[in-house]
Amino acid sequence: MVLAELGGRISRALQQMSNATVIDEKVLTECLNEISRALFQADVQFKMVQNMQANIKKIVNLEDLAAGHNKRRIIQQAVFNELCNMLDPGKTSYTPKKGKPNIIMFVGLQGSGKTTTCTKYAYHYQKKGFKPALICADTFRAGAFDQLKQNATKAKIPFYGSYTETDPVKIAQEGLERFKRENYDLIIVDTSGRHKQETALFEEMRQVSVAMNPDLVIFVMDSSIGQAAFDQAQAFKQSVSVGAVIVTKMDGHAKGGGALSAVAATKSPVIFIGTGEHMDEFEAFETKPFVSRLLGMGDWSGFMDK
Amino acid sequence: FSSIFQSVAGKSALEKTDLEPSLKALKERLMTKNVAEEIAEKLCESVAVSLIGKKLGSFTRVASTVQAAMEDALLRILTPKRSIDILRDVQSAKEQGRPYVIVFVGVNGVGKSTNLAKVAYWLLQHEVSVMMAACDTFRSGAVEQLRTHARRLQIPIFERGYEKDPAIVAKEAIREAMQTKQDVVLVDTAGRMQDNEPLMRALSKLINLNKPDLVLFVGEALVGNDAVDQLTKFNQKLADLSATGSQQLIDGILLTKFDTIDDKVGAALSMVYISGAPVMFVGCGQTYTDLKKLNVKSIIKSLLK
Ligand SMILES: Nc1nc2c(ncn2[C@@H]2O[C@H](COP(=O)(O)OP(=O)(O)OP(=O)(O)O)[C@@H](O)[C@H]2O)c(=O)[nH]1
Ligand SMILES: Nc1nc2c(ncn2[C@@H]2O[C@H](COP(=O)(O)OP(=O)(O)OP(=O)(O)O)[C@@H](O)[C@H]2O)c(=O)[nH]1
Ligand SMILES: [Mg+2]
Ligand SMILES: [Mg+2]
Repeated sequence: MVLAELGGRISRALQQMSNATVIDEKVLTECLNEISRALFQADVQFKMVQNMQANIKKIVNLEDLAAGHNKRRIIQQAVFNELCNMLDPGKTSYTPKKGKPNIIMFVGLQGSGKTTTCTKYAYHYQKKGFKPALICADTFRAGAFDQLKQNATKAKIPFYGSYTETDPVKIAQEGLERFKRENYDLIIVDTSGRHKQETALFEEMRQVSVAMNPDLVIFVMDSSIGQAAFDQAQAFKQSVSVGAVIVTKMDGHAKGGGALSAVAATKSPVIFIGTGEHMDEFEAFETKPFVSRLLGMGDWSGFMDK
Repeated sequence: FSSIFQSVAGKSALEKTDLEPSLKALKERLMTKNVAEEIAEKLCESVAVSLIGKKLGSFTRVASTVQAAMEDALLRILTPKRSIDILRDVQSAKEQGRPYVIVFVGVNGVGKSTNLAKVAYWLLQHEVSVMMAACDTFRSGAVEQLRTHARRLQIPIFERGYEKDPAIVAKEAIREAMQTKQDVVLVDTAGRMQDNEPLMRALSKLINLNKPDLVLFVGEALVGNDAVDQLTKFNQKLADLSATGSQQLIDGILLTKFDTIDDKVGAALSMVYISGAPVMFVGCGQTYTDLKKLNVKSIIKSLLK
């Protein structure tokens, strides 16, 4: 995974600093600049990178005053903590529980991978013994229902949708009622792609959410997204109660820094990543092990849980 | 901060250190507008090179000199060197008794199929007859998606269902268009990651076999630093895998989702800078009429604001 490249660069920057005989302001600035560049190239939001740089400087300088501290270690720890803070919203997300209907709603920008990921998510839990069902509440995109239908059929998962009904709220309600009645315990609704500049589209999403009353709203984000990530993610969060993020297309070359921005904007953890177009190309995501892997593991593990 | 506005009038010639604060601020501004880091850096370097050694007029600020030089550089980059007039070229293909073929390529989910339909609509407006070729034979619903657009626009579609070799489907579509005297064939392809070797090979096969008149790279305005890698690798792989000596690369860019990015218009710059290909269309919505031409002046204005 290319995210590891980012980790490698950050580790190298820290290593270079470790090689310097004295760590002065200049060495620290150079190291932080290098780390910032790596983060910019990974599409982390500009402001977040700047804040991180400022925070680290503050921490390091404060600690500086106290004698007897190991500067390198303080800097390394500060970098690790800042990265963890970016990816870790400090709360876990809702996880489906057996023995009751779990209602999950997928939202996101156009083409981010919602429909594909719905089936991956359903398939993942199906293997864990859940009885998933899919609802296509995308009445807008050409071929949307066929897409979900074909995916669901491949995974042998029941689906609900319509070629003629144009109201996504109605479809969502009907599908929900039917699958509840038929005792499915993981009811997943796919919605149309939308963006914050179109208020009518956001209102529609809000209405679907009201009708479904989901246990979890998942925001799906493309790993290649640039500086627009934060604002878009924040707007979704303000309209519906996003509780988790899934980052898709991690099999590509993008370093996925937009994901960090989405976590910050939605204050929700990344729970899965998509790593291909096929149903099983899907991985669970955990922040702390991920960040330590990102930074080359080893002595980093000692910093965890502090 | 004041140093950025420092006047160096009276100094003999600009040195690198005079320029650095303004260039740093400018690079940061470009990055917040979603220009790829590498491109922002290169641009600033070239502006520095063009200014070092120059004399400033009295009362001229370094910052405004740097800004003006950057504006020039942006204008130069964004102004197309090759101009392509699709409607004229369609006409001359017609005179040769063959359809004009456009292939839409790009990574997953950027808007290839939707914007193919918008281009079809645009051609219809210009009294050009169009046929669609459903050559995404992989993604679920891709054929039905295109069929829906063809039905709405009332134009013919050539399809052979799923799992067929897209290169062959395209070939047959072009033959059919020739027989039925269609002016243009619009070829939809499956999205693919630029690093995916087998899929890039299949795309190259489609292009080698069918020698389209225009290869349009579809990229979304939302994309960040990956824009550079996408265009570099699509170009590179098409060149490397080309069967003939005449290498067919990306001819033009179709920039999508321009309505989703506010003033963060940097992807346009990254894409053009790295490929040298012109932005031929800008997609700015999800309906057929949401297709525009690139407004270079307003892009530059947004970038430097
Ligand atoms: N390589 C790769 N492609 C993916 C991944 N996830 C989704 N895709 C592809 O991305 C494209 C868009 O996916 P969709 O699931 O249609 O996206 P969507 O968000 O439902 O799109 P709209 O409904 O139009 O907003 C398709 O070509 C998918 O096959 C992934 O993890 N890796
Ligand atoms: N807001 C906005 N959405 C767009 C634009 N162009 C396309 N879309 C949306 O983006 C989503 C993906 O579009 P597609 O045309 O299916 O993308 P694609 O590149 O063909 O996708 P794959 O074939 O799966 O790789 C759809 O929801 C489109 O409606 C645009 O200019 N603006
Ligand atoms: Mg969808
Ligand atoms: Mg498509």
